[in-house]
Amino acid sequence: MNATSPSGASSLQLSRRTALKTLAALAAVPAAGALAGCGGSSQTSSSSGGSSDKAAELSFVYLGTAEQQAQWNQLFAQFNKQHPNIKLKPEGVASTNWAEFFNKLSTRIAGGRVPDMVQVATEGQRLFASKGLLHPIDEFIAKDKAVIDEYYADLNPNLIKWNTKYASPGGKTYYLPGEFNTMVMHCNKVLFDKAGIQLPSADWTWDQFLDICRQIKAKTGAFAYVAGTGYFTDVMPWLLTNGTSSFNADWTQPTFDNPQVQESAQFMRTLVEEKLSPPPGGTFDPFTALAQDKLAMFGGGRWPVINLRKLNAVQKTVLLPFPKKVGQGSPVGWNGYPILKASKNKEACWTFIKFLISKEGTSFFANLGGTIVPARKSVASSQAFLANSPKGTEYLYDALSYATPIPAPDKGAAIQQVIEDTWRQMLTGNTPIAQGTTQVQGKLQGLV
Amino acid sequence: MAVQTTTARSATTRAPSPPRRRRGHLTGYLFISPAVLLFLVFIAGPFVAAILLSFYTWDLLTPADFVGLRNFGRLIADNDLRRSMLNTLVFAAASVVTHIGLGLALALAVHRKMNAVVRYFVRTTFFFPFVVSWAAVALVWKYVLDPTFGIGGYYVERLGFSAPNWLSTPSLAMPSIIAVDWWHTIGYTFIILLAGLQTVPETLLEAARVDGANAWQRFWSVTLPMMSPTLFFATVITFIGAFQIFEPMLIMTQGGPSGSTRSIVQYTYEQAFQQFQIGYASAVALVLFVVVMGVTLLQFRLSRRWVHQ
Repeated sequence: MNATSPSGASSLQLSRRTALKTLAALAAVPAAGALAGCGGSSQTSSSSGGSSDKAAELSFVYLGTAEQQAQWNQLFAQFNKQHPNIKLKPEGVASTNWAEFFNKLSTRIAGGRVPDMVQVATEGQRLFASKGLLHPIDEFIAKDKAVIDEYYADLNPNLIKWNTKYASPGGKTYYLPGEFNTMVMHCNKVLFDKAGIQLPSADWTWDQFLDICRQIKAKTGAFAYVAGTGYFTDVMPWLLTNGTSSFNADWTQPTFDNPQVQESAQFMRTLVEEKLSPPPGGTFDPFTALAQDKLAMFGGGRWPVINLRKLNAVQKTVLLPFPKKVGQGSPVGWNGYPILKASKNKEACWTFIKFLISKEGTSFFANLGGTIVPARKSVASSQAFLANSPKGTEYLYDALSYATPIPAPDKGAAIQQVIEDTWRQMLTGNTPIAQGTTQVQGKLQGLV
Repeated sequence: MAVQTTTARSATTRAPSPPRRRRGHLTGYLFISPAVLLFLVFIAGPFVAAILLSFYTWDLLTPADFVGLRNFGRLIADNDLRRSMLNTLVFAAASVVTHIGLGLALALAVHRKMNAVVRYFVRTTFFFPFVVSWAAVALVWKYVLDPTFGIGGYYVERLGFSAPNWLSTPSLAMPSIIAVDWWHTIGYTFIILLAGLQTVPETLLEAARVDGANAWQRFWSVTLPMMSPTLFFATVITFIGAFQIFEPMLIMTQGGPSGSTRSIVQYTYEQAFQQFQIGYASAVALVLFVVVMGVTLLQFRLSRRWVHQ
């Protein structure tokens, strides 16, 4: 970071320009990180593009660990078979959540280490688009209209609607909606059988859920559910199924101090008080606990399947929608693949994007066992995605019909921290529910 | 005349260094140049940058804007900053007291006639945690203090008590981190104080013994004053290190519960990289510098009264 004083002007423009130049180099990386399985090179362009592509090298930053690199490399190798002139340089950034990933990414960009390609989830799409870093892809969409029309026809319309509403400032398109995650309940059928409880139907209620929790605890001694504090995984499902949310529809005002939020928090507090859930704030591992029949239920999207397979717990796990109070509900977050404004390889970027959204690219990643739900309905309902997965996995895609995009204002990391910290205090009983929700409301108002 | 000439010349000019001495100077500069370069790049440079950035607002993604003293004005009304500063002062005070007090007790216990192998084993045992990275220590202790499966809670329950949620209870979280910090870093203070004990002249202790001083009187009137320079050094270093505490808070509690463990460095980090306010974070960092410098200068001033020269 160059600290040269500006001469006369009040703006320090050094790192910005440097960053934008570097961003250019990044450009189009279909950031199909660990969550992505989104692929789909267009059948027309990718199949014929191969040797006619202009040579390009694209560095790619995505949310993922070193152990996921092998999967990504397979995907890139598949792309390179069709497009040998476009070299991909992937780099996974290990982060515990998307907010942390974007913080690291922003810091890298400011420091001049700008990748060519970036994976951007819902939590960062509006932030990046609003900062003038991205190149609109409307012209590419118009050029390859047949490809995009075919892709959109295979998506749930909600994904297209949300992408337009939340990630397209100024009416311009910066992202194609990609693979996503919703939240469902993972149930341990062995414990249900042991407790003599029949698995509930998909429209089960909070009251039924609580009754099941008590029975499982009484009859098996196992924890019934993990009342955690994750914003996406543990807070939002219980707000949305109670007809409320953390923010209003356009994410401009927090709505955390209403009675429904307090009711949801109290419901989770009840689980902790009655020891139906382990105390929050620890290192409890729900996957291992479920595999060892010490836990009956936990909430999750597609990502638990990786651990469930390793622990040989796929067969005993059944997925159901979250129980409802007012109605069915689930948060949803999806990936997007922007082309960076300063990129000098926009055409190559677009070629890679088309590969990732194609049936071929999407199916390939689904076969590899990624941690994301494919955006294409045809792939999400195919054996490539459903094989070796818990029964009820199709509910992950079906949840799009009632899901709500995870509210993600610009200061996402700070917002998430405020909500999670106070939620934990409410669940442990250190902070009264009403006081806690009021505190969160006040802090969130200062962050939007 | 030659003398006058020589005197007249030296009054107005300096005799040039002989070539061999100039080469010696150059050699010296070359030897220190790597350290100077590292200092300039990693300490002086960022320090100057922080001062300059504190007069701007910058979110990392768009050009910075000059705002003058606005960031400093904001410091005054920032309750979260005050809370973080208070947390850090509490941690630093507890850290200094426990490190010096218990570290000295350990050093005294080890500084006695004992088998060389036993002494070596004891010194290594206490020092070993210090060489482990904070990240690893924090992660391990997070598991030890887990409210469900942690062995810390297990042994508490074996004693007949209910295991508390150490890291999620506001009144217990900071004491837990202080205890972990003590476990991790006491070895460093212990080794320094042990070395200080070994500088106390045996003749003085023998003379005091001959004069009829008991063990406590010898410790209070001879040992402590003679090792006061070492105590002073350990106190200053411990305070400076404690005031910059960051890793255990970030890994074990994320600054919670309810901000009860958020340190000033963590607050600076969050302002910079979570709220994208580089300018304000730079202003906070300068406040941290001023506080640490002020306390250190105060310690040096007070040392004239109690540190044996």
